[in-house]
Amino acid sequence: MLLYAGRRLTYGLLVLALVATLVFLIIRLIPGDAVRLQLADAPGVTQAQIDQRTAELGLDKPILTQFGHFVGGLVQGDLGDSFDDERPVTTKILERLPATLELGLLAILFGILLGVPFGMLSAIRHHSVVDNVMRFLAVIGMSLPNFWLALLLITFLALWFGWSPPLVYASPTEDLGQNLIHMLLPAIALGAATMASIARMLRSSLLEVLGSNFIRTIRSRGASERVVVLKHAGRSSLIPVFTVLGLQVGHILGGTVILERIFAIPGMGSLIFEAVGQRDYPVILGCVIVYGAIFILVNVVVDLLYAVIDPRIRYEGASA
Amino acid sequence: MIVPGAAPLVEARGLVKHFGDGQGLLAPRRPPVRAVDGVSLTIRRGETLGLVGESGSGKSTLGRLILRLIEPTGGSVTFDGHDIATLSKSSLTQLRKRMQLVFQDPFSSFNPRMTIAQVLTEPMVVHGMGDRAGRIKRAKELLDLVGLPSFALERYPHQFSGGQAQRIGIARALATDPDLIVCDEAVSALDVSVQAQVLNLLKEVQRELGLSYLFIAHDLNVVRYISDRVCVMYLGKLAEVAHADDISERPRHPYSQALMASIPSPDAHRQLRTPLAGEIPSPRRPPSGCRFHPRCSQSIDGCDRDEPELLTIGSPSDARSVACHLFDPTSAR
Amino acid sequence: MSIAISGTARAARRPRNRSGLVRFTREQPLGAIALFLITLFVVVAVLAPWIAPYDPLAQDRVNLLTAPGVGGHLAGTDELGRDVLSRSLYGARTSLLIAVSTLALGGAIGLVIGVVSGYFGGTWIDSALQRVMDALMAIPSIVLLLFVAALLGPSVRNTVIALSLLVIPSINRVARGEMLRIREEPYVEAARSVGCGTPRILIRYGLPNLMAPLFVMGSLLFAVILIAESALSFLGIGTPPPTPSWGRMLSEGRSQLEIAPWMTVVPGLILSVSVLAFNLLGDAMRDFLDPKQRR
Repeated sequence: MLLYAGRRLTYGLLVLALVATLVFLIIRLIPGDAVRLQLADAPGVTQAQIDQRTAELGLDKPILTQFGHFVGGLVQGDLGDSFDDERPVTTKILERLPATLELGLLAILFGILLGVPFGMLSAIRHHSVVDNVMRFLAVIGMSLPNFWLALLLITFLALWFGWSPPLVYASPTEDLGQNLIHMLLPAIALGAATMASIARMLRSSLLEVLGSNFIRTIRSRGASERVVVLKHAGRSSLIPVFTVLGLQVGHILGGTVILERIFAIPGMGSLIFEAVGQRDYPVILGCVIVYGAIFILVNVVVDLLYAVIDPRIRYEGASA
Repeated sequence: MIVPGAAPLVEARGLVKHFGDGQGLLAPRRPPVRAVDGVSLTIRRGETLGLVGESGSGKSTLGRLILRLIEPTGGSVTFDGHDIATLSKSSLTQLRKRMQLVFQDPFSSFNPRMTIAQVLTEPMVVHGMGDRAGRIKRAKELLDLVGLPSFALERYPHQFSGGQAQRIGIARALATDPDLIVCDEAVSALDVSVQAQVLNLLKEVQRELGLSYLFIAHDLNVVRYISDRVCVMYLGKLAEVAHADDISERPRHPYSQALMASIPSPDAHRQLRTPLAGEIPSPRRPPSGCRFHPRCSQSIDGCDRDEPELLTIGSPSDARSVACHLFDPTSAR
Repeated sequence: MSIAISGTARAARRPRNRSGLVRFTREQPLGAIALFLITLFVVVAVLAPWIAPYDPLAQDRVNLLTAPGVGGHLAGTDELGRDVLSRSLYGARTSLLIAVSTLALGGAIGLVIGVVSGYFGGTWIDSALQRVMDALMAIPSIVLLLFVAALLGPSVRNTVIALSLLVIPSINRVARGEMLRIREEPYVEAARSVGCGTPRILIRYGLPNLMAPLFVMGSLLFAVILIAESALSFLGIGTPPPTPSWGRMLSEGRSQLEIAPWMTVVPGLILSVSVLAFNLLGDAMRDFLDPKQRR
């Protein structure tokens, strides 16, 4: 098991390294000097100023040297300094990370809390009206763009209840109540797709298990339906739900970018958006890497959880 | 019609194929599968050489080694005097023209998206034979040869029955006018009544075109019906090689005897003279000494230590090769 | 001649495509509806210049922010007096153009990578290519899009390039998975024994046999692209003005949410229905093409 975990982690790190390299290369190789773009708007910029700035930012050195600096910094957790306000990128990211993580976790929580019961209900009463309605809602839930759903929710609440989401963000430590209210709408908008995915996956997985021989045996021993579903079928059908979560993390992380912007939440999503507007490459680079790292980490955890639940995976994984 | 005295078409010497050695860094080390472990045989022009053995004996692997669809771990194969291992890629493609394969399951051996016309003309296209019209003409001739109507050309493989599909497979194998056809369990998936039809077709085609066959099967009954000579294979090595009639009437190797005995027969005396005990062991860990010794009812002292060599024994009229200590005058008793 | 089919034939059979559409409608009614909706979408998008009631850029100064039905504007107008319905129709056109281009570009690249990777599965070629794909997939879609589109600047062409990066890994995964399976099929070995070279095998044996799952993925990806393009435009990085785009309409509508919700609802609704249709079609195709043989 440890061997598997080790291999999985190493693999994840490898991919992360690749992400970092790819991103670095793309940025450095695109046409359009970062400096030029930065100074383009300022009037009367001389070549000397451009050269000076270039040297300051270390962009005049050969690519390999730059890459070396980059990797060296990366290993120490230093992602360079922002072009915009010269503060360390790592600091800026760490400031914003908690809000994004909170939003993401709330979205996932919402997805699970609603998705699991819906999925189970759908499976138990399959082919009934309830089931069909839920399945349809699930497909819709997966199809609605999360930002549109957010806008709809805002419109709906504003028009029918005269309520608007708070404009000023409060961190959980300052004012937990306001923080949660602030996060409520975006979490729902973000988590809807996850809820739908989980409900669907759980339904089909549960149906498969419920029809299997092993459940038939338990039923024939006289266990009540509730016990059958919750205790026995539940455990084995939860596995594919983890797969869904692993996949959904990507969408959720991506969704934070737009939703943070709509709801004025100071998270990493807004950070990268601002950085893009300002062509602040170190920040962009840093954000992409951190996003990638989160995604990879979550998938590694999911894989390891799998391996814990299903022992076959640990041993089959030996011959890649 | 075997031409006596002529050079053999195919000569295999000491063929070895091990699977599964040299795995990735982190795979658990396991001994390789010794599918073929030192086999030598010859196929003469116009001859049908039968190759019989249980599943796991390595016979399919041997067939593919001879066609060089798999690379041998050791040993050599000579086709018409050329060592096929040293051939360049283009020469190998040339060679493919002359040796073909008929598969066990005809349906899965056809691309489901290709019509029969495409299936039959593809070998010709690949080897640059004729023009479009000429190829279609030849495809019709091939269909005629195997007894199928020409409107089959526009159909798809799944629209045919097993026997018909196998005929198409044979037609495809004949498309490039080969010298050798390897039939890998070619009739095993067919219903018994259809088997006879296909076997007769094979014989007829051989008579007309003078080809050689390597006929691989696990059913000795079928093999001896169509073959001139028969090789019996066990766990990667040859146990016995003899003429088809001789193998039936007087099998020498205990394994051959057991195979013969397991054929249902109305003759009560032939039944169960030497019943076959146990199961075929894993090719990863073949038994020491003679591989058959754990299941052999006639094993003697020394069978568990030394591997018997394939030796030619018998009178000229009964010439055969057997790998068994019982027939080895030099083995210790 | 009656062609009797024996038991072994059934296992290898695939449904023929001639009567496929009829059977599809019967077996997958939802999918058929979806297909109809999609056809509608395509027709409307293509014919937008002829069926749109107004010029999408024309500003009706008299009717600013009018509700649907008022002043001859079926879906209302925005703050510049532009007809929401017409802009939505043209937006469909933009989205269709971008999605098709993206699928073509990303699909082609992903297909090549996947097929080559799958055929040479287990070798270093496969490993190297797949690691790069993994790295690409590790970056959440919007982040990746932001990254690339920002670097390249807003334009339709750059949006297509950025969106292609989303498409490539998914197509690659399907193509590779199928190729790994196809590679083990006896008919590939038969092709080699006949003398076919690798390119021929990939093109004639590989591609035709992986079309079905590819179509399923294509439909699902279409939905993804529609949303992603709208997201980019919403953020101001995608299709630049004045080209009508659903995403930007949503962004413009945001400031008028309480006053003129139709600016947000109408394009969003059309977008959602289109996405829904593509998702349903993809699901229906998957069910139609696959589990039949398992049963």
